[in-house]
Amino acid sequence: MEPILSVRRLTKRFAGLTALSDVSFELGRGEILGLIGPNGAGKTTLVNLVSGAFRASEGELVFEGAPIGALPPHRRAKLGIGRTFQIMRPFPGLTVLDNVAVGALFGTGGGHRQLAIARELAQQKLEFVGLAHRADRPAEALGGPDRKRLELAKALAMNPRLLLLDEVMAGLNLAELEAVIAIIRKVRDEGVSVLVIEHVMKAIRSLSDRLLVLHHGEKIAEGEPQRVLSDPTVVEAYLGRRRGADEEHPR
Amino acid sequence: MKRPLARAGIVAAIVVLAGIPWLASPSIVQFGINMLLLAALAQGWNIIGGYTGYASFGNSVFYGLGSYGTAIAMLRWHLPFGVGLALGAVIAIAFAALFGRAVLRLRGHYFAICTLGLAQVMTAIVSNLEITGRNTGLVLPLLRGDVLFYELSLSLVVVATLIVAWIARSRFGYGLIAIRENEEAAAAMGVDTTRYKVLAFSLSAAISALAGGIHAYWITFIDPVSAFDIGLNVKMIIVTVFGGPGSVLGPVLGAFVLSAISEVLSTEISTVAGLFFGAVIVVAVVFMPRGVADLIRRFDKYRWRYFAENVRANRL
Amino acid sequence: MDLLWQGLVNGILLGGLYALMALGLALVWGVLNIVNLSHGAFIMLGGYACYYLFSGLGIDPFVAMPISMAALFAFGYLLQRHLINLVIRAPMFNTLLLTFGLDVVLTYSAQIAFSADFRTINPSYAGAHFTWLGATVPLVRLIAFAIAIALTLLLWLFLGRTKLGRAIRATAQNLVAARLYGVEPRSIYALTFAIGAALAGGAGALYGVVSQLNPYIGVSLTAKSFVIAIIGGLESPLGVIAGGMILGLVESMTSLYIGPTYTDVASFGILVLVLIVRPTGLFGRTT
Repeated sequence: MEPILSVRRLTKRFAGLTALSDVSFELGRGEILGLIGPNGAGKTTLVNLVSGAFRASEGELVFEGAPIGALPPHRRAKLGIGRTFQIMRPFPGLTVLDNVAVGALFGTGGGHRQLAIARELAQQKLEFVGLAHRADRPAEALGGPDRKRLELAKALAMNPRLLLLDEVMAGLNLAELEAVIAIIRKVRDEGVSVLVIEHVMKAIRSLSDRLLVLHHGEKIAEGEPQRVLSDPTVVEAYLGRRRGADEEHPR
Repeated sequence: MKRPLARAGIVAAIVVLAGIPWLASPSIVQFGINMLLLAALAQGWNIIGGYTGYASFGNSVFYGLGSYGTAIAMLRWHLPFGVGLALGAVIAIAFAALFGRAVLRLRGHYFAICTLGLAQVMTAIVSNLEITGRNTGLVLPLLRGDVLFYELSLSLVVVATLIVAWIARSRFGYGLIAIRENEEAAAAMGVDTTRYKVLAFSLSAAISALAGGIHAYWITFIDPVSAFDIGLNVKMIIVTVFGGPGSVLGPVLGAFVLSAISEVLSTEISTVAGLFFGAVIVVAVVFMPRGVADLIRRFDKYRWRYFAENVRANRL
Repeated sequence: MDLLWQGLVNGILLGGLYALMALGLALVWGVLNIVNLSHGAFIMLGGYACYYLFSGLGIDPFVAMPISMAALFAFGYLLQRHLINLVIRAPMFNTLLLTFGLDVVLTYSAQIAFSADFRTINPSYAGAHFTWLGATVPLVRLIAFAIAIALTLLLWLFLGRTKLGRAIRATAQNLVAARLYGVEPRSIYALTFAIGAALAGGAGALYGVVSQLNPYIGVSLTAKSFVIAIIGGLESPLGVIAGGMILGLVESMTSLYIGPTYTDVASFGILVLVLIVRPTGLFGRTT
């Protein structure tokens, strides 16, 4: 079956700095691909390139068989690419429910035209991530872990075919982590393909079907989690940061 | 407006307002026209400034284009007033659509400054063109009877407010609000930000132009400085921010309240009135930055702490 | 040819003064992210301070200028510390509105205090001029130019070479980090704003000598300062000098070759063009 996303020789240069260099991989339909690597490896840059926030300097992006490299972010969203932001960006003046409703109004295929339907869908997504009890609070009143759920709900309300998750697990305790992992699995079971950036190793190891490792903007390993994590190049990439680098404790 | 009582109240208010010209003195009717036109302008600004979050100083350009479009249509081409109004609006919309794409790419204060610059450029250009009568301006045909203009202005306010009310609960409006709150996230969620911004800008332009056209015919004389007066743009901003940007009735409330205060004061010395205004703005921005509408909504809950809370949240 | 040369000379002399005028605005905007719409009012007040020192106490305007600057410095410090500070963490729009309201208050207060009459600061040597390569150079304009450039360079050195200057720049970059260095942000903010006000005051004094004062000049001076700050970028005083020169030359040339009524078209036209094509200014960074 054709992969949902093909990334070929993707390169991104900023003034004087090459953030991403010649990265190629494929994401299969219904697959969860974990994207890991030390800080500054280029993971968020990659997500930004796929979602359209940045334009690539070189390389191709093919989504569901069609090239998307020249499309602006909102067109990619309409095609079915949804994302969360690492620095969480709720719409502060709106309620939690309305935040998610925006996703339902404008997502895949142009979203829904009717506000009432969108709000219903938003309510459903809030229940899905466990935030329904906060639906009418102002979004800025939410604390850290709840904000992450909100980000997730917003992206899900878009009804994406490809979901890009940028560090949705940082700072969560054990129970919250398990909840998020369960949610992501549920999402995948409904047919969505997922690309997850994460630092929490235990979580990403159990969640991902495959792992992709970036270091200094280059792909250094790809494949089954077990194999990738014991790959000496990968271990070395992390070794400069702390001893025993394949276990990161949830903060 | 969900509550039927509130809705009935508003309809009643409109009826009362419509009846004023037959009950009040001519000077009150004149005051009313100015106040209503300001309210209409405020609503127009509310769309681009309040809902979309792009503080435009270019609405005075659209007002001026409406004034001059109407005037030129009636004077040079002898077209009826209605056609002139429509022409003014079309010119303004074209201007907004043409320049909008480029200018709306700018964020925050850069956008404000650029539109300010545009306003100055337009004033200067119009001062130098033959068709607009250069510096001396244009004199329109006289139509006696303020009542017509009063009712026209009232209609414009009602229409503008209805448009804003529709925006507030439409997909379009949610898109605008999303753009205001976080433009990058809005785009990532599928909002065509450029198109929406230009649409909001054009809508805002049309309303401003209509107000300009009505005003031009009413006072029968326009010149570049008064038609493109930035002070007018400033007034519509103050009135909207005071009343509550991004709300449906806030701008109208703000226009009514501040116009009334200004009228009362200008029977005194106008300099003191000006001073008072400046002081009101300063105090309002510090203690009630979200406008009267928000104050009304939250006062029940917070009482006097409302003001202290605003200060504490915003100071260094 | 002579006309062109005179135009160039006029433009450059004007440009120096313009640069000083815009400097305070650019500093406060670039460092504190405060867009001060009452900036022109500060210039106006500095002009009046110098005027009264001159006409009341007979102090030579160029000597009174530092006194004006000191007065505006104190005024600016108190203003920022106790008023503008109150809205600094609110959305930028609130600061715009606050400084706008302030501008209104200052303008009308000046109208009440000083009346709307036009005033010029006319020292005995006001009419003196000399010719340089065929162009007439008024003495006071030359002195104003020299002082303006000198002050701008002083600011540049201050920001780049002194400890306090670097503390100011550090605070601009990163409030939290600055705190870690023992820098008290509120004082730095107030200090920076005060410097901006003092510079405006100085520009006002010079403006009063080469042109006319009245309470309402504030708005158009603010607008001009914006144009200069945007053209020159907010990165460095040197950029502001360039911006001032460009505007001065554009105005001078436009006035000469197209007509004095078109100078606004030219100056604001450039503003709009620069913003659309290169929003960070001609000399700012691209990222």
